[in-house]
Amino acid sequence: MRYLAVLSLALFCITWLVCPATAQEQAPANAEAPQKLTLKKGLMCERVENLTPIGPGLVFSVSSGQVCCYTSFDPVPQHTVIYHRWFRRDELSTQTRLRLYPPKWSTYSVIQLRETDKGPWRVEIIDQNGRVFDVLRFSIAD
Amino acid sequence: MSSFLAFLSSIRWQDIVDILINSYILLRVYVLFQGTNAFRVLVGITSLWLAQEVAASIGLILTSWAIRGITAAAAIIIIVVFRNEIRSALQVRNIKAFLWGFPSREQQTPIDVIADSVFQMARKRIGALIVFPGNQDLGEAVHGGIPWNGQVSNEMLMSVFWPNSPVHDGAAIIEGGQITEVGVLLPLSHRQDLPSEYGTRHRAAVGLAEAADALVVVVSEERGSVNVAKDHSLTPMQDSRMLSQALKKHLKMPDISPVRQRERERLKLAAAGCISFLIMAGIWFGFTRSQDTIIALNVPIEYVNRPANYDILDTSVDEARLQLLGSSALIKSLGPGQVGVRVDLSKAAEGRNTFTITQADIILPPGVSLNKIHPASIDVTLDIPATKELPIQVDWTGRLPENIALTNVSVSPETCRVVGGSKTIEKVNTVYTSPVRLDTLTKSGSSTAMIVLSPPSLKLAPSCSERVTVHYRLEEKTPSVKQ
Repeated sequence: MRYLAVLSLALFCITWLVCPATAQEQAPANAEAPQKLTLKKGLMCERVENLTPIGPGLVFSVSSGQVCCYTSFDPVPQHTVIYHRWFRRDELSTQTRLRLYPPKWSTYSVIQLRETDKGPWRVEIIDQNGRVFDVLRFSIAD
Repeated sequence: MSSFLAFLSSIRWQDIVDILINSYILLRVYVLFQGTNAFRVLVGITSLWLAQEVAASIGLILTSWAIRGITAAAAIIIIVVFRNEIRSALQVRNIKAFLWGFPSREQQTPIDVIADSVFQMARKRIGALIVFPGNQDLGEAVHGGIPWNGQVSNEMLMSVFWPNSPVHDGAAIIEGGQITEVGVLLPLSHRQDLPSEYGTRHRAAVGLAEAADALVVVVSEERGSVNVAKDHSLTPMQDSRMLSQALKKHLKMPDISPVRQRERERLKLAAAGCISFLIMAGIWFGFTRSQDTIIALNVPIEYVNRPANYDILDTSVDEARLQLLGSSALIKSLGPGQVGVRVDLSKAAEGRNTFTITQADIILPPGVSLNKIHPASIDVTLDIPATKELPIQVDWTGRLPENIALTNVSVSPETCRVVGGSKTIEKVNTVYTSPVRLDTLTKSGSSTAMIVLSPPSLKLAPSCSERVTVHYRLEEKTPSVKQ
């Protein structure tokens, strides 16, 4: 009996340590099945306002000045990081490290556009182990 | 002295063989064509060529051009005018005679036997017509002959022209020591000035003498006289000695003993051989030994013996600049296929290989040497061929209207198989279409575009089409659209 009490106390402490206390959006966690970090939504847009993508599309004018890669994860089982890897043609242009917090999290990366950025692009959304969640393809045009 | 020894040591055995072969060819030309008019004209053309070279070297522009034109025309004329002589010289019985036969070894015509036989036939009133060909071929002038190939003798001639012989009416042709043909029909002369007592036999003799450079001996059956037809004249022969002289003159046989004559022939041939050797040696040294000209050539590099499992991914250079040294004649005559740079890749490994270009890698014609090469080394990158399935992305270009958003794009087929070097293909993750204009898009629809592979060393797999269909959806701009 005493042994069971000690074990329960240890499990409680581990659960308290693992669960994040600063989640941006709280939601009830599914305690029954092991949860997996899942990309719920990923799109390219002109800008993000209050974590809402504005002007989504697949072609962006260089005159708009910037382009954003918006991603929303649900669920986020634990605090982790993901990467937005921006490629112009097959050349890595930039890589942004983004933090995710349980239970779900929306985040975005942005690049500033120049005349020389015209052409086909892609953004790979990957976790820290290199697992690819999605590849978003778009173009920068006139 | 030391420079002479150095010069001698630089001569290769191939050079000696080269000179000897060409000297022998020149000697054979002399042997086959000696005594012919064609040979004399050939010597004349060679003199013209030398004169043209001299004129060109001292700067006589018009003279050298004129002589060059005359030489070219003469070369054509010699072939047309002397075609029969050339054919006679080249028509030998076998290849051995063509390559090795010498006049001294040919059978001599037994002049005295023939002359005695002719006058014996004249005394017996036996008509005869005997042809001694000159340098021209008689094939076009005579016809109807029967091959005989019998050794010339008194009895043989008597039997051929014996009145009961079936071939006694025609002419006999004697070449060397043989009666080659009998019963030969000769062309008749149409001259009106021939004496009336001359019959068909005399007209035939004159006819052939007019048509060719042959000498024809005619024995009159009625009068027992002997005449010789040569060129346009018919000369009566008083005795066998006179006939012998005429035959020797026609056959170019000097009036000396056969032994002396053979010795003289040998000496003549030896002298011709020496002159041929000296001429060829002079030409050879003039062509190959004078290193008076330098030329720079850009030569494509050829990569050979590539290991079967590797592809050439990249090379630092595609052509090398060679600076060559040689005589102006050789340098001027250099053709595109005579110079090359060949790099052996048999020992190359995967990745980047550096090869130093050595003399062994450069192909040059004999007599031309390498002075300089740039670059001295080249890099060749080899890779293993690989195939990869890659997504296709549209390369949009132009400008969309401000209020329109391109919200969905799909490409059919979505992927294609690409073949290329493994190192190259490893870095490629997407293939792109040719640019598709946005300006022309007004509503949702589809269009076609070509796949553009970069780098160009990549190839589409045979099963993949170069053309893809692009389906697109356009929408009024809204705050949030799901991709």
